[in-house]
Amino acid sequence: MKVALRIKTENVTDPIISNVILEKKARINILSAQVNEKGGKVLLEVPDEKTEEIVKAFRDFGVEVEVGKIIEILKDKCMECGHCITLCPVDAIFFEKDYAIGLDENKCIQCRACLDCCPTRAIKLYG
Amino acid sequence: MENIRTIEEINDKIRKGDAVVVTAEEMVDIVNEKGSKVAAKEIDVVTTGTLGAMCSSGAFFNFGHSDPPIKMEKLTLNGIEAYHGNAAVDCYLGVTKMHPERRFEYGGGHVIEELISGKEIELEATAYGTDCYPRKFLKTILTLDDLNQAILCNPRNAYQRYATATNSRDEIIYTYMGKLLPNYGNATYSGAGSLSPLSNDPDYETIGIGNRIFLGGGIGYITNEGTQHDPKNKLGTIMVHGDLKQMKPEFLKGASFTGYGTSIYVGLGIPIPILNEGLAKKTGISDEEIKSNVLDYAVGRRNRPVLKETNYAELKSGKVLLDDKEIPVTPLSSIKESVEISNILKKWIEKGTFFLTAPVERLSRDRIFKPLKVVSEIPLAKEIMNVAVTCKLSDDIDTVAKKIIDENVNHVAVVDEDYRLLGISTSFDITKAVATGKTKLSDIMTKNVITTKPEDSVNICAKKLEEHNISALPVVDRDNKIIGIVTSEKISSLLSKE
Repeated sequence: MKVALRIKTENVTDPIISNVILEKKARINILSAQVNEKGGKVLLEVPDEKTEEIVKAFRDFGVEVEVGKIIEILKDKCMECGHCITLCPVDAIFFEKDYAIGLDENKCIQCRACLDCCPTRAIKLYG
Repeated sequence: MENIRTIEEINDKIRKGDAVVVTAEEMVDIVNEKGSKVAAKEIDVVTTGTLGAMCSSGAFFNFGHSDPPIKMEKLTLNGIEAYHGNAAVDCYLGVTKMHPERRFEYGGGHVIEELISGKEIELEATAYGTDCYPRKFLKTILTLDDLNQAILCNPRNAYQRYATATNSRDEIIYTYMGKLLPNYGNATYSGAGSLSPLSNDPDYETIGIGNRIFLGGGIGYITNEGTQHDPKNKLGTIMVHGDLKQMKPEFLKGASFTGYGTSIYVGLGIPIPILNEGLAKKTGISDEEIKSNVLDYAVGRRNRPVLKETNYAELKSGKVLLDDKEIPVTPLSSIKESVEISNILKKWIEKGTFFLTAPVERLSRDRIFKPLKVVSEIPLAKEIMNVAVTCKLSDDIDTVAKKIIDENVNHVAVVDEDYRLLGISTSFDITKAVATGKTKLSDIMTKNVITTKPEDSVNICAKKLEEHNISALPVVDRDNKIIGIVTSEKISSLLSKE
């Protein structure tokens, strides 16, 4: 399961993720992490069966957590050109048989490569 | 080739609901299976469709008059500057005109999309005021319904075929063909292949001036051959107009190309009457038969290197083979929407709401697309600069004097360890130092140096030399590192050669 974290600026130096990994004995994969003046944004892949307790553990550390939806292609904006397909390093975006744009949310790692290539700015990331 | 039916006969059948209409995609299979002779007998009309970014586009608006009236001199629509060199309340909004702050994110194309979506647009205009148009300022909110006329004008659409773009550089480049990854990491193309209107009528037998067409979801017309029409290279284009009030955002959408500019996607479809067997055969054209050159867009020249010739079948497969490497390739235009347009047009004709037109004039078949005539190539600073003689701030006057004599120059640039420019000293400065007994370079050098960039033209260099009454310009890069020097002697020698 994909879990997006928003860590407050004052907490970005705390070893929160390590604490949760040790406490919950969970194999957590860090897909992306960004820290700037607004705080930290981290995207994690966590084991499905432990999602609930991991999310609770992060919330207990004061972290904002969003589960599940991490990317959306806005249908009313998308022209279905497919330019994003060649930019996606993990094949999360693809052509359906009728050249409609398909999306496999589970594959997305929020690398952002597709965002500035979309001519109609139809791709939205969550978390 | 002998005609087996006329456009009038086809229109009669449309009126009765008897016309047999297929899309250009369906026609490929029909001609393959039955042959062009049978196909010509059975099929009355073939519909085409395409939807791509059309940077040449814009819209003409008429606002009507305010009271007191204004002859607008400068005007913006949602902050986008419109061209006002028309009559008092007419204007032209170009789709590539960008918002001064939002840049690539919002431009003329987006304003047009918002108008046809029914949204409100802010008009702000200023004027110098005349006896007949005294008003000097106007600010108001408008919707498409408030405008008298709103006409989409697209001087170049329906390119018969187009190039495929890729990038040899080891960094990402942002182009009008999209975001191109380093080292041939991806490729993009434009055009709908076998659905492309002009590829289905390559001799322009039925597509010509005056044709009624599908444009942006409404009705439009072909009004001229398109700009850059290049029939001999199978790169024909058409110019189209249409009433924005009929159009839909699904087929007319503002676009942003990061690092390049804004644009608009325009959906267009043209019906082709099957007047004879030749047209049946031509509309049976397949993706394999329509070629596209893969070009290296990393080369910023008019003629970009052709890496290979491909075709729309390979392009639509999603991979293009380049030197044994499979490169992911996708369109920038929309195949799905192109198919949809050809289907909508088919339905319109089947329902008897759209009739075919014969061209009043044919498109040129021998026009040549010429490059820009440039009467004199203007050299750039980097092309005429000399190697700069440099010294360090710690050097004494004697050392600098020796350099001036040894290198036979008049200017020595003072630089730090990274060759960043700190100052400049001339032979006159050195003479003055000797006369006044000064020994430190920092006391005599000019610190606020007038410099130029390597891409500046020689005209800019000459202007700077004259304005500041100086005889040399250090050429510096973005980090203020010196890369050469342009001297007035060099510019004089260029002029004397002419």
